[in-house]
Amino acid sequence: MQRTTHFRTGAILFLLPALLLFAAFFLYPVGYVVVVSLLNWDGMSSPGFVGLRNYSALFHDEVFRISIRNNLIWAFAEAFIQVPLAIVVALLLARKPKGWKLLRTIYFFPHVISGIAITMMWGAIYNNERGLLNGFLRLIGLSEWEHNWLGGLGSAFPSVLVYGLLYIGYFMVIILADISSVSQSYYEAASIDGATRTQQDWHITLPLIKGTLATCVTLAMVNGLRQFEQVLLLTGGGPANSTSVLVLYLYKELQNFHYGTANALGTVLIVLGGLVILTVRRLFNAAKYDM
Amino acid sequence: MKINVLLEKMLSRAILSLFLIYTLFPMLWLVMASLKTNVELLGDPFRFPAPPQFGNYVNAFKSAHLALLFSNSVLISFSATALNALVASMAAYVLSRYKFRFGPVIFSTLITGILVPVSALMVPYFTLIRMLGLYDTKLALILTYTAVSLPLSVFIIKGFMDSIPGELEEAALLDGCDFYQKFFRVIVPISRTGIVTAATFQFLSSWNEFLYAMLLTSSEQVRTLQMGIRFFASQFTTDFTSMFAAIVISIIPSVAMYSLFQNQIISGLTQGSVKG
Repeated sequence: MQRTTHFRTGAILFLLPALLLFAAFFLYPVGYVVVVSLLNWDGMSSPGFVGLRNYSALFHDEVFRISIRNNLIWAFAEAFIQVPLAIVVALLLARKPKGWKLLRTIYFFPHVISGIAITMMWGAIYNNERGLLNGFLRLIGLSEWEHNWLGGLGSAFPSVLVYGLLYIGYFMVIILADISSVSQSYYEAASIDGATRTQQDWHITLPLIKGTLATCVTLAMVNGLRQFEQVLLLTGGGPANSTSVLVLYLYKELQNFHYGTANALGTVLIVLGGLVILTVRRLFNAAKYDM
Repeated sequence: MKINVLLEKMLSRAILSLFLIYTLFPMLWLVMASLKTNVELLGDPFRFPAPPQFGNYVNAFKSAHLALLFSNSVLISFSATALNALVASMAAYVLSRYKFRFGPVIFSTLITGILVPVSALMVPYFTLIRMLGLYDTKLALILTYTAVSLPLSVFIIKGFMDSIPGELEEAALLDGCDFYQKFFRVIVPISRTGIVTAATFQFLSSWNEFLYAMLLTSSEQVRTLQMGIRFFASQFTTDFTSMFAAIVISIIPSVAMYSLFQNQIISGLTQGSVKG
């Protein structure tokens, strides 16, 4: 009896800090975002209830439409370009070619460096006069291809989007770890039947790591919805808002004290994130993917 | 058949090399460019700097106030990591080692936080920090970073604690350990790997965080390194090579962390996301 009360005090004491922080930084904020999205408020004067008007205003707003389109392109590009490339590289490294550990370390390297530093580096690469890209084009005699990559209306968004897609290390590490946990006996049976490595990858490995692939696609798409730093640093959303994304738009609305609109954008982000998670889970029908 | 195998091998090698070049080459170019003069920078991008301008680094360190940015980042990241590891281990201990009615509900609620897009919560974080009177302080960032990664840390650490056999605990109880002694003397030492994994993640994400550093602080006295990098472009308007040097310097701590804790990072990533 004494031990139970003792445990109870200890347990409450030990759980309390985590629960308080969770309440302050997750529960309260999510509630706040939803409630304030229904208000017309500048953060100071008394707020007025406007129902869904902030949302209907957003759907008629050009910048919002561009932002959501860019985020969706980003999410799908990560899911259908970055993740498949990561799968290919993971399958190749799983065959343990010479130096595969070193390659794994190097491929993952860009993900431990801050996004800001990587972005600044690419800003330097895309730079009009001093950049590596134009310098390289000049060098190989293709100076007519030289271009103001981040300033051109057509090239700005692709330039901001593409370079990050080719950093495949993050998903590759997750996928490779799961491939390594597949039992060797499956492959032994298959090679006795004369299946090549590629056939084995396709018919054995991929189906067995379906749950992890679902996780990667989810993470990739949610990541595409969260993109922000690259745009802020490289183009600030321009030219003519063509590179804007939802989080950047949210940040700008917050700076203009449009709390209602900013939180409507926040709600859209949370709902989109939830939709992505549910849809991917359903599509992969991953029974073992339970949380 | 033999030709097929050979072709496959060559294709595999080609793909792996392409990604290797893509990952390393831009970084090497950046390091090389950071050692050039601004005039050299306009010329051939592949020519080695002659002689290398180490002065750029001295210049960068001084004009970007890198010493201040560094010490701010170190203080904030280490505090947020220590606090996060402590709070998360305490919660994970109760949730993992004791069965009680609301335990599973509390755990599953906590870990839904892993997938919440926290950038959507900018406005409430901003108002919350102002309400607490913490705007433009280091504590604002320490608290925010501790809280934001709490779900992932609890998830990783609880996973490790779940694998501790019950007999060990019974032995501890027989030795007369109470609730607190059991935590500090038995559970924490055994789940060290899990705690270090979570802490490594926490450190890297605090060190590299940008959005909330921008939102919750404004003065240079509390500015973190990542925020500082953002101002490089306006600080070095014409001195590009020094700006490159500053970027290179800012990457060094992450490289050091990575080489020290590579295994934790990779195993933590697997642990933390395969089910999350």
